[in-house]
Amino acid sequence: MSFIIKKMSRRALVQALIALPALSLFRKLPDADAAGPKPDPNEIVEVGGWILKRSDLA
Amino acid sequence: MIFDSYEAYRAANFTPKVCILGSGPAGMTIARKLGAAGIPVVVMEAGPREFSDDSQDFYRGSTVGDFYFDLDITRLRFMGGSSNHWAGWCRVLDKQDFEPKAWVPDTGWPIARTDIEPYLPEVRDILDLPALRPDMPISDDIRWVQLIKSPAVRFAEKFGDELDKATNIAVVLNTCATELAGDGRRVTGARLWSHGQDAGSFSADYFIVCTGGLENSRLLLWSNQRSNGGVVPNATALGRYWMEHPTFEGGNAILADYNAFEVDAVNEAFFSPTLAAMERLQIMNFGIRLIETPYPGVKSLIADLACTAPSMAEWMSYQLSQRLRCAAQLYVAWEQAPLASNQIELSKTDVDHAGVPRIELHWKKSELEHRTLLEGLRLFGATLIEKNLGRVRIADWISNGQDYPTNDETAGHHHMGGTRMGTDISKSVVDANCKVHGMDNLYVGGSSVFCTSGQCNPTTTITALACRLGDHLSKVVTA
Ligand SMILES: Cc1cc2nc3c(=O)[nH]c(=O)nc-3n(C[C@H](O)[C@H](O)[C@H](O)COP(=O)(O)OP(=O)(O)OC[C@H]3O[C@@H](n4cnc5c(N)ncnc54)[C@H](O)[C@@H]3O)c2cc1C
Repeated sequence: MSFIIKKMSRRALVQALIALPALSLFRKLPDADAAGPKPDPNEIVEVGGWILKRSDLA
Repeated sequence: MIFDSYEAYRAANFTPKVCILGSGPAGMTIARKLGAAGIPVVVMEAGPREFSDDSQDFYRGSTVGDFYFDLDITRLRFMGGSSNHWAGWCRVLDKQDFEPKAWVPDTGWPIARTDIEPYLPEVRDILDLPALRPDMPISDDIRWVQLIKSPAVRFAEKFGDELDKATNIAVVLNTCATELAGDGRRVTGARLWSHGQDAGSFSADYFIVCTGGLENSRLLLWSNQRSNGGVVPNATALGRYWMEHPTFEGGNAILADYNAFEVDAVNEAFFSPTLAAMERLQIMNFGIRLIETPYPGVKSLIADLACTAPSMAEWMSYQLSQRLRCAAQLYVAWEQAPLASNQIELSKTDVDHAGVPRIELHWKKSELEHRTLLEGLRLFGATLIEKNLGRVRIADWISNGQDYPTNDETAGHHHMGGTRMGTDISKSVVDANCKVHGMDNLYVGGSSVFCTSGQCNPTTTITALACRLGDHLSKVVTA
């Protein structure tokens, strides 16, 4: 990895980093029907000790 | 009449019908009831008028099991007993506390709450309480409950003059019973210790042991040992089923509207589970105390929340910037399952100045209680969500199943059980009238007769039971 980075120009590196968030666009998304029912936004979940509504989550 | 020594009392030639041991809330209430009924009564009080190290030393003891307070710190041995430093929180046990819980063995009393309710007006006078308010359900699972912050009546202060002037009540200070003698049907006398020496034997027609929720068991265990079972003939349960109210900071809450709850004079609010929730989750009763969080605590709570629920954290920061109250600490106190293994024993090695073995207290919290604490906070959290009132964060040590912290409140200084009330002589010591099973003239007053502890502070119920016992004995003695 460090070898590849050394070989890349600084400009290419910055372009790659900017593109990162978009990478998920290329991932195969589960098709809507196969994903099952959408999670209930009112469902109670426990995260890090907090008792929250699913819709509270980021 | 108040005497400073047994010698002075003897010189007065007073002939009592009833002897009460101990002048705390239980003993003093019963004495006043009997006195008002015209029955001559003597109260033997181990300690002096004011705190003394010498007297307090009789209360030293040891504990085995979970961390607990030193036994000479958690109670007071002088006139008025622990009412000299109680905090004054008042509430009567719930109706359901008296009823058996099908999912917890050895629960249920032989009396119902309705048996003590007629005494509540008297209790309010004694403890200076405002009107008692009914619970208010805020969801199917959680109810708002009234826990009164009373002026914490110091019994010796409030009733000292009255007792001093009474002609048929004698309070004898600096005089303790070291043991009772009995023949398996009656108590035949009490051995007394006054001002550092043996003061001989004393007899009366009736004896009522009101020496506190630890000492009642100690005195009866020792007396029974000395008289070969002649004081508590059915002693299987004696000293057992001892209970406290474990109390710990269980987490925090952020609140959309702090004013949504009715708070008391010190800005606190209290919540308990409904019977349906206890039944469904098979847990014990509990009380959640909501206290406004100090400012630095709120900031770290917001930072923590920002990791999982940023918009909620943002809302909370806004509330804080508006100087609105928006966060609270949650303290939880809960009912312990009555366990025979939580018990008061007599030390085999350590005795007090009068030669009476000191207490060895065996006390451990159970798995059911940890579940009660966790599920209780979850119920409260779910209720805040359901009613759009806020969110709860459970303390890490609880969610992670870690040990109880040793730097927290620990417990309420509420000493219950040991001489519990019941009909089954293998699981109880006194009957529904607080009379020791099999004995004609021996009664017990105080929270040692509690079969279950409920979630609330005990003294209101102690006082109600004392009024009831006072009425009952007035009839028995004058019959
Ligand atoms: C720090 C603290 C805070 C508390 N806060 C609250 C609260 O907010 N709400 C609440 O409901 N409860 C509270 N309690 C508990 C409350 O103080 C007790 O429930 C209450 O005092 C019990 O009354 P009692 O008469 O049964 O026993 P005690 O008050 O213990 O009185 C027993 C008396 O018997 C005497 N005695 C002992 N041995 C003998 C003997 N052998 N012979 C003769 N006399 C003897 C003692 O000197 C004492 O005067 C608190 C307790 C403590 C320690």
